[in-house]
Parts: sequence; structure tokens; C-alpha cells
Amino acid sequence: MAQNKYLRALCVILLLAGACLAFQRGRNRLPFLQDDDLPDPYPTDAAEKTEYTFARLRYNSYRQGAGMWGVRGSWTTDYPKAERHFVQGIRRLSRVHVRSVEEVVDLDTDKIFDYPWIYAVEVGHWDLSDSQATKLREYLNRGGFLMVDDFHGSIEWEIFMRSMSRVFPDRPVVDIPNKDPIFHMLFDLDDRIQIPGIVMFYTGNTYEQDGVKEKWGGIYDDKGRIMVAMCQNMDLGDAWEHADMPQYPERYTSMAYRIGLNYIIYSMTH
Amino acid sequence: MFELLFLYPYRLFSKGEFLFASGWPVWLLVVLALAMVGGVGYLVLSQKKSRRWLVVAGLQAFVLCLLLFMLWRPALRVTALKPQQNVIAVVVDDSRSMLLKQDTGTRIEAVKKLLNDGLLDKMRGRFQVRVYRAGNHLERIQSLDAVTGSQNTTHLGSAMKQMVEESASLPIGAVVLLSDGSDNSGGLEADALSEIRRRKIPIHTVGFGAERLTKDVEVMELDVPLRALSDSRIGAAVTFRNYGYKGQKAKIALMADDKIVTSREVTLAGDGTPQTETLLFNAGLAGARNVKATIIKLGEEENGSNNAQTRLINVESLKPRILYIEGEPKWDFKFIRRALEGDRNIQLTTMLRTTQNKIYRQGVEDPKELEQGFPDKEEDLFKFSGLMIGGIEASWFTPQQQAMIKNFADRRGGGVMFLAGRGAMSDGGWAASPIAEMIPVSLTDRKGTFHREPATAELTDAGRDSLVVRIEEDGKKNEDRWKKLPFMANYQETGTAKPGATVLVDALPTSKGRFPLFVTQRYGRGRTSVFASSGTWRWQMTQDVKDLSHELFWQQTSRWLVTETPPQISAAPSKQLLLDDGNVEFRADVRDKAYNPVPAATVEARIMGPGGVGAMIPLTPDANQAGIFTSKWDAPKSGSYVVEVLAKNGKEEMGRDVFTMIRQDGVAESFHAEQNKQLLEGLSRQTGGNYYTPATAKALPDDIAYSEAGVTTRETKDLWNMPAILIALFGAKAAEWLIRRRWGAV
Repeated sequence: MAQNKYLRALCVILLLAGACLAFQRGRNRLPFLQDDDLPDPYPTDAAEKTEYTFARLRYNSYRQGAGMWGVRGSWTTDYPKAERHFVQGIRRLSRVHVRSVEEVVDLDTDKIFDYPWIYAVEVGHWDLSDSQATKLREYLNRGGFLMVDDFHGSIEWEIFMRSMSRVFPDRPVVDIPNKDPIFHMLFDLDDRIQIPGIVMFYTGNTYEQDGVKEKWGGIYDDKGRIMVAMCQNMDLGDAWEHADMPQYPERYTSMAYRIGLNYIIYSMTH
Repeated sequence: MFELLFLYPYRLFSKGEFLFASGWPVWLLVVLALAMVGGVGYLVLSQKKSRRWLVVAGLQAFVLCLLLFMLWRPALRVTALKPQQNVIAVVVDDSRSMLLKQDTGTRIEAVKKLLNDGLLDKMRGRFQVRVYRAGNHLERIQSLDAVTGSQNTTHLGSAMKQMVEESASLPIGAVVLLSDGSDNSGGLEADALSEIRRRKIPIHTVGFGAERLTKDVEVMELDVPLRALSDSRIGAAVTFRNYGYKGQKAKIALMADDKIVTSREVTLAGDGTPQTETLLFNAGLAGARNVKATIIKLGEEENGSNNAQTRLINVESLKPRILYIEGEPKWDFKFIRRALEGDRNIQLTTMLRTTQNKIYRQGVEDPKELEQGFPDKEEDLFKFSGLMIGGIEASWFTPQQQAMIKNFADRRGGGVMFLAGRGAMSDGGWAASPIAEMIPVSLTDRKGTFHREPATAELTDAGRDSLVVRIEEDGKKNEDRWKKLPFMANYQETGTAKPGATVLVDALPTSKGRFPLFVTQRYGRGRTSVFASSGTWRWQMTQDVKDLSHELFWQQTSRWLVTETPPQISAAPSKQLLLDDGNVEFRADVRDKAYNPVPAATVEARIMGPGGVGAMIPLTPDANQAGIFTSKWDAPKSGSYVVEVLAKNGKEEMGRDVFTMIRQDGVAESFHAEQNKQLLEGLSRQTGGNYYTPATAKALPDDIAYSEAGVTTRETKDLWNMPAILIALFGAKAAEWLIRRRWGAV
């Protein structure tokens, strides 16, 4: 009985300590990141109708239904600054007619079929229902393209694959070889580098968790065309988002732009 | 009645020459007639009689003039055959169609009955009569028993020609042809006709057989392309008609190499109304493909032999190339590429302008191909059979390249398709370019014609009949499928279609109006088209993955673009289906790599036919057309022929082309089996003869007598004693008497 009493007290102390740590962590954000999440002014040409629109996938997060233990919707990570920066690069570097603002799509309506290219971030936290998995499969089979980004290490890979394997139970994830056209669309990207998120400013590493080595994964269709392109153990979203931050190394942003552009033009040609 | 009034038959008047037999001058007749009219008129007017006198005086003047006319002795001068000094050729059609039944017996039995029931004897009473039978050739016979309907074909023209040639030394007075008019060679040839007319031999025809059958279904035509790409979907247009089965169902079966590939049930239209059904089928592997369309025989059909037609298609294993250049990345580019990847017959090469200075190439044959951009030499561009120009500005092409694009369709014979986009058509400055001439719509001068607004596609009347936009085999289903297609993501305003262009599909934007969406036209040796949207990708992305509308549309369109694009050496027969007659002309069009005619080539045809038939014949240059080579040949046997035409320039081979043809004997006779009255009447009319039915043929012996051919004599037939003149004379006097009775003293 006395042991239970101590155990309860320990739990309360641990909870309080955890809360304090979490509060302190926010307050200890690096100075140059303090205002980084503030959105840019809304573009005046946001209503322009264009050929291509950056479509961000909204999905249910793993444990999102776990009440107070759930985490915020991870699909919004880097939103909307990442894509708004990136599309400016698309305009500058290519002839893709692109809208200045993104579109958010989900797998619960058919709106997604009007956007043949979609981007999903932090898919190490996604949790697709069976019907959503089915719709994503149909979308990809019709010719849609999915780029996933910003998921790290073996645990997030496992969570990612729990949903992905229901989308394509019989299609393996393979490493995209260097010779694949996707790395030679607009830019020849034989020498790719791991693109870190801003976590590197805290940890000093270009990787997170146990995801030491970057993975350029893909799922191919029967005709050898990539349907799903994965940037695992990397964070291209951060590289786009912080493109205007002097502290974020230019080489990473530059590579992230090139990768993103190659993926978009690949999806518009294959 | 005519003969009763005018003493002689009408035919005599049409053949005879009018004259006055008295020998007195005609001017005197005219002067006297005028004097009489003038005298009577003077008497009436000078005495200031009432107006009624004018009528009476007119009747009196008429009677006096008529008497003068009779005094001058009007007559007809006709040329008539001298009795027993002339030969009458009686030609009996001995072809198989004469075995068809009419009324009580066959047509041949009706012929024999007519001849044996006195007609021959009557003719023999006045002339020498020779009897012939006609079919494949003309043959003199001693007895009508030799006429059995055993001949496979009817060549009335050549039979008449042969008869005239063989009887050059005979005093042929006339020809009597007894036939159903079913001719397999298209009637009388001009040279034979002119020879007959020169000798003034009249051909009298007697028509047998009903002018229309009472119970029959006939496949009139089977229209298939001469060539097709292997594994491509092609259309067979079956035209048929029926008599006596209106509203009933019939089944059309299409067979390729004796295997049924598709079939369709149809409802038969009214009597004699031609109907056309188009059946789509897969051409299959390369090689000569025998295609047969059959309408399953219905109950009580009078002629079951005309329910099928056969054609030969040369299925080629070519893989024509299309060059597609696009000005900026777009979704339709990707999905068109995907659609054509599924087509084993088309090789798509693309150039995509990804940045201002970068072109991304796909489908090139080697890394060097198109490395320098859009071809600037005709030889490089003309390697392709089709060209698709997307949203790219006209100014991106040099004037030389623009001229090449025109020549691509005009001289090379390729297909050019203009697609929509921000840099396309009016927005891309194409209206002011020389290329505007080849675009099948009139482009406006203003910009801002490309709209990213939804628009639906709707088939036009021409589109409903066209195979190019056929994504469902059945026409009605195809129409429904087009109606159900999702809207396109964008459209481009086009002007109206140019004269000669065909609008297959219209775009109906949700916001306003209607614009031509898919327009095609012929241009020079090739063809051009416009597809005024780059938003068909929604047909793919918003429909079930199993729906193939998008793929089929672009595959069909692409094949239309290239299928008729000729190779450097293109050869064809004058007719692919040889019915009972093996005479055919080969024609080859020989061009160099820039598709300029080559007049100094060596061209030969290698022929392989049935039963070991083989031949190698040279083709000679046509003096009037540079690069055209021709040769005549006679296919000796019934069956399929494969002809390879090879062209050389010195020792260098320029290229070769292969075509097929088929000779069918004894088949044509079963078609158009009703009496061809038009042909028989025409034959008579053109030679100065008459057309008769068996019922009116009794007048033949008398009519035959008046002919300018053979040994003749001139006869003068008086006309003054015609009952019609006497009636007019007495009628005028009776009228005068009646008038006087009615009016009293005038």
C-alpha cells in the first residue's frame, strides 16, 4: 500500500518535471528561429489559375485519436512557408506555370484527383484508414504522384510503412538508382546529399533519431515509372521553408529545390 | 394511239428525215401561206368587221395553210434494212444471274420462251438471224439449248465490242440483247461504244428480271482501309440494303481470316434504303488479312449469294514516329505520353521546353537525336510521320523551320496537330505566321484565348460518324460515352472552321459559348488538325483507372495522324478488288528523303499470287507526273496477291512498299441481281436502239427494220394522209361552223 503511494507521487513528480522541460524547450528556441514560423504576406496573385499547384496532403496522424496523448496534425509541418518559398523557386528556375499558394487536399474527397502531384510531410506519423489507403492507391494508379518527406529513423519508417503497405501490399519500396530519369530531369543530381532539418542546429547532426543515412526510395508502377518518391532521413520541407534564413546552409536549400523541381517535372513527363 | 394518229410509230419519226415530196420550193409554200393569211386579214380589217370575224378568219386561214401544206406532200425519208440481206445478232445473256427466278421460271427460261414463241421466227422472216450467248466472252450458238446460265460473269461491253469486231465483214443490221443488265465491268467502254456508233449499229435491249427483288438482303459494300498498322483498331464500314424485311433484325458478322472478330445485330430499314454500320476490330499481326462481312441469311431470301463481301487488308508492322514539341510542362503532356506508351504501333518522341533554354527529350532513337533542338533539315524532320505542336510560340521556330512544318504536311504527306496552351494558336502568335494557312480554323488576332476554365466536349454530327473519335465500337454507345466524359481542365477559343475542314468535337465551356475543339482537314498530301484543349488529363485522373477513354482517344487520334502518311516509296493498285477481270494498273510514287519526286529511279514490282503465280515487272515513268511510275498487269488467277514495289536510284535502294490485292471470280454476278434497267436503257439510247420489256418486245421485228447499219434502202413515207392532219382540217371547219351557229351572222 505504501509502495503504491510512493509510486503515485513519483508519477506526479515526473509529469510536472516533463511539463516544465517542455515549457523550457520552447522558450529556449534558438534566437534566429524565434520568428521563423511567421507567415509571409499572402501573395496577391494567389487566385491565379495555373497548370501546376503544390498540393499538400492532409492526413490523420498516428495517435491523433488518443485523446490528450495525441499530437498535433503533423501534415501541417512547415506549412505554408515551405511551399510558398519553393513555388517561387519553381517559377524562377523552370517554365512550370505554378500558383503562388498551395492547395490542401485529403483522401476523404475526390478533390485530390484534380491535383496529379501531392506532397506529404512527416509521414512517419501518418495513419491512413483502409478507405484512404484505397483512394491513394487509385490516385496513384490513375497517374498521380506522391512525394513524401521529413520522416526519420526506423520507428517512423515502420509507422509510414504500416499505411503504405496497405496502399500497395504487393509493391516493394526500392532505392531509386542514380541513373533513373527522376535525378536527371532539369538537373543532373548524381551527387546528392542528405538534407537536414533545423534540428541540426540543436544536435549538430544532419540526421535525426537513428536515420543516419539518407534514403532516396521509390515505388514503381508496372511500366517502371515512379509513383511514390520518398525522402527519408531528410527534411526538404525545412530546406524550402528556411531558404531565406541566412543561418541555414545554402547548399541544402539549393539541393532541396533541385530535388523538388526534378520530382515535379518528372511527374509531369512520366 | 400515236401510230393511229400519225400513221407510223414514233420511232420512225425519231429516225426519219422530214421532207416535202412534191419537189416544189419550200419558200413558195411560205410565201403563199403568208399571202393567204395576209389576204384574209386584209379583207377582215378593210371591211371593219367585228372582232368575232378575226376568229373565223383565223380558222379559215389555218385550213387554207393546211391544204397548201398537204399539196406540197410532206413525207418522212427513212433508212430501212433490205429484207433477207442483213444479219440481226441476237445476244442472250448467259451469266449466272440469269438463273434467278422471276415470276414463273428463271430469267433464262423467260428469254427462251420469248424467242421461241414467235419472236425469232418473225425476225427470221425478214432477216438473217445469228444467235450468240454472252458471259465471260461472246460465243455464237446454233440452238438456245446452249444457253444454260453457266457463265460466272457478264461483260456486256466487251461482248458487244467482240461482236462488232468479229462481224466487221458482216452486214449487221442491228443487235438484240436479251439480258438482266447485271454487268460486272461497269458497262460499255468508250472505245467499244464509239465503234458501234461509227457503224451505226443500233442495240435493242430486252430487260429481264424484276427491277427490285421482293425478299433479299445484300451486302453492297465493305469499306476497309487498304493498309493498317499491326494491332491497331480499324473500322469496317458495311453497307447493305434489303427488300421485304423492313423492321426485322439481322446479324452482321465480321471475320478476319475465317475467325469471327466481331458481330452486331441491326434493324433493317425500308426497302432499298442503303444502311451503313461500322464495326471496329483489331487488325492483328502483320500480314495480309482477309476480312469478310456477312449478314446471316434470313428466311425466304431470293438470293442468298449476295450476303457477304470480302476484302484484303495489308497489315504492316511499321511503327510510325510522332514528334511532339511542347512549350512548357503540362499534365496533358504526361498523360498523352502515357496513352501512347500503351500503343505498340506508335513511337512518340517528345521535346519539352522545361526552362527557357532547356529541352527535355524523350523517346529519341539515340542520345544525339534532336540534341540541337527542333530539326532544321527536312530529312531530319521528315523521318517522322506525325507532328504535334503544343503550347509553344510561333516565333520559337525559325522561318526555315516554319516552312518545313508546312512542307511536312504538304509535300511529305504527314499529319500535323496543333494543341492548346498559353503559347498556342492566337496567344502564341500563330495567327500572324505563315503556318496559320495550314491550321484548320481561322485564328483571331487577339490574345487571351486560352482559358483555365472547365469545358465539356460534345460530338458534332460529323464526329458521330467519324472513326477518329470513336472510343466505343457502337455509335450510340460512343455518343453516350462522350456525354459522360468529365470536363476538361481548360480550353482555347478558336475561330470558325475553315472551308473544307471538319469539326468533330465542340468545346462547351461552362461559362460561355461553344467553340470548335477538334477540327481536321486535308492539307496538300497530308492532314492537319487542331485540338483546342490541354486539359484532357482530367478524363484520366477523374475516372476509374479501368476507364480507357483518354487512352483510346489519343491512340485513335495519333493513328489518324500517321496512318495515311506515305513512305518514300508508296505504291498502290488501280483497284484492290478485281472482280472476274485481272487487269490492273500499278502506280508508284517515288520520293527522295526530302520527299521531292525522283523521276529517274528504277522501279519494279515483284508479285506473288495464288498457286505459285509469280512475276517481276518494271514500272515506267509517267511522262506527265514527275516521280510517278506505272505498269499494267493481268492477274491470271482468282486469289490473293502480294505485290512488293522496289525503287532504286542507281544501285542504291531507295525503299520499298508492299500492297495486296484480291481477284474474285464468279462472285460479282450474285450482287445487284435485280434488272439493271438503267444500263440497258442507256445502251440502247446511246446506240440508237430501243429498250423493251418482254411484253413490248413484239414490236421488235418491225422496229429493227429501220436501221442505218447493214444493207439498207431509202424509203419515203407520205405524211399528207396522216389522220391527224385530216382531223385538224375537219376540226377547224367544224369549229367555224359551230362558232357561226353560236354567234349567228357575223
